[in-house]
Amino acid sequence: MEMVLDILHLKKKFGKKTALEDISFSVKAGTCFGLLGPNGAGKSTTMKILTGIVEADNGSVNVLGMNTKENQLTIKQKIGYVPQSITLYEDLTAFDNLVFFGQMFGVKGKSLNERINQVLKQTGLLDRSKDKVKEYSGGMKRRINIAAALLHNPKILILDEPTVGIDPQSRNHIFDMIRTLKEEGVTIIYSTHYMEEVEVLCDDIAIIDNGRIITQGNLKELLEIHGNKAIYIESNQIEKLRTLVNISKITSKDEGWLIESQEPMALLQELLKASTEHNIELLALEMVRPTLESVFLSLTGTSLRD
Amino acid sequence: MLKSIITKELKIIVREKGNFFFLIGMPILFIVLFGSIFGNTNNTFTIPYIDQDQSDASKAFIEQLGEISGFEVEKVDMEEQQQVEQIKAGKVSSLLVIPKHFEEKLTSGKTQAAIKFYRDPTAIQIVTPIQAVLENITNHYREQKLSTALTSVGLNDKETDLIMLPPINIEEINTSTQKVDAITQYVPGYTVMFVFFIMITMVRRFFKERESGMLARMQSTPLKPIVYLIGMWIPALISVLIQCIVLLAFGYFVYGLDLGNLLAISIIVICLAICGTGLGLAMAVCVTGENQGLALTQVFTLGGAVLAGLWFPFEMLPSFAQAIGHFTPQYWAQTGLQDVMVHEANVGGVWPGLLVLLGYGVLGMFIALVRFKHFIKTAIS
Repeated sequence: MEMVLDILHLKKKFGKKTALEDISFSVKAGTCFGLLGPNGAGKSTTMKILTGIVEADNGSVNVLGMNTKENQLTIKQKIGYVPQSITLYEDLTAFDNLVFFGQMFGVKGKSLNERINQVLKQTGLLDRSKDKVKEYSGGMKRRINIAAALLHNPKILILDEPTVGIDPQSRNHIFDMIRTLKEEGVTIIYSTHYMEEVEVLCDDIAIIDNGRIITQGNLKELLEIHGNKAIYIESNQIEKLRTLVNISKITSKDEGWLIESQEPMALLQELLKASTEHNIELLALEMVRPTLESVFLSLTGTSLRD
Repeated sequence: MLKSIITKELKIIVREKGNFFFLIGMPILFIVLFGSIFGNTNNTFTIPYIDQDQSDASKAFIEQLGEISGFEVEKVDMEEQQQVEQIKAGKVSSLLVIPKHFEEKLTSGKTQAAIKFYRDPTAIQIVTPIQAVLENITNHYREQKLSTALTSVGLNDKETDLIMLPPINIEEINTSTQKVDAITQYVPGYTVMFVFFIMITMVRRFFKERESGMLARMQSTPLKPIVYLIGMWIPALISVLIQCIVLLAFGYFVYGLDLGNLLAISIIVICLAICGTGLGLAMAVCVTGENQGLALTQVFTLGGAVLAGLWFPFEMLPSFAQAIGHFTPQYWAQTGLQDVMVHEANVGGVWPGLLVLLGYGVLGMFIALVRFKHFIKTAIS
């Protein structure tokens, strides 16, 4: 598959503080690529380098086969960037804001008006377009913040934590927008520290921590390789079960226990068989899907939420 | 892109009500306030008197005093001692007393007629002109006495007049046909002073763009930094031009201020606007914070207003302050405006001031250009 973005050995320091140690990853065309990491990991700096806001100290960035240093203006026309903060003129209407951002990318006249109508429909805010942005809710502002990056029909959309501090309804609306854009062939680069969002939206991911990529690849494959496989069980006779079934690692979780295993299906069958044969009451028994949280934990030894 | 930034910025400036107050409301308030206080000043000096002689001569003396332009006499209905106590208490500043036998002594020609003039030593500004007038009248009496003496020794009127003719004649020539009053001081003065308050608006706008992340976001667009800078500058320039037009028109329509050569006034206003906004650009990208910008602007505008003679005539300043004042753009703007309004100067007569204003403006823009890269850096890090 064609790569739209190739990043090699990015390094960046702000004064004495190292923001990026060594960042390399590639993004396939038409996919949603998640950049996952805790706050301060280097996600925003990476995003800013991709968009030409910040210059890297070392390394190279190729966008759509063009080097960013040599083709900055052309590349900027192909990228839509949604910053982490809501960056809109609060005293202007949503329409005025969109006119301004469209014109910044050279979109004018009739085509600009058409694009504004399209993105307003996508955001579900067409009927509120003449209201001042300061009269919007946080979620609505976030949607307009994204819309402002879409007016020039970018090939790549970079979203830096676009759902921070918003209600579930707006979050779902943003997710729908991203899915629609992906269907239209736009490559999405999505930075977040919410692993659930990456799991729901992304095809490929890179996990970043302390300015380094600690793993990257297809989401399902990563979960398969690094995610802990486990069985969740609730029973009052867990000690008896432990004597009957070979359990290597068991930890308490909520009302029951979490039993890790490389062969969870086999373990599940064993537990069912033992409980039936020895008349052990099971209150709950289920397979636990591996999560990115467990991937992060297994790779860094710390929780993503810490 | 430039047009987009200008349009956006103008909309923001117009929607921020505080800008109107700072740039137009406040200067009008000051012009009205100071114009009312100093524009209608009663410059007549009052001379309180007690006439103890009540003679024709004493009455004639008082009458002569009252006829002098700018002076009026006021009869005091109390005892001399009581009035002196009032002076000591600082309630009145002077008292003229014509004692008994004034006429008798005046006409005798042998003794000197005395007049008592009590004065408060602290009220120099009021008492000194009265003293000068009294001395003038005394001289007039002496001239009369001399003239009578010359006639009595046999000189005819023509010969006497020739002798009495003062050796030096002071010819008073007014250099301007225009009316010069408080309004010709305050309207241009406060216009010039408040033009520089645009710097606060500019500092605020630049910092808001930086703090909101807008400046960083702009870096992700094809917009060139120089276009952004010009786009932020032009709306400020337009604001100042409108501000000057409104304030000068206010002076013209409300106070009947004669603006003089309109072309010259327009060019001064344009140069002043370039100067104020150029320095505003430099200030906006050089200061480390909004509060620092606010403080420095106030020092610059208020300090400059004093040193440039925006609040009172420049000639009233001490010489060292005048020397410093020549380095302020406010001085050149005020002088230029007053030269056109009062001294009927045209563009050719005010060109050095125009060059100074443009020089300051261009210098400010140059500093802003050099410093803007650093300002962007602080916005994205």
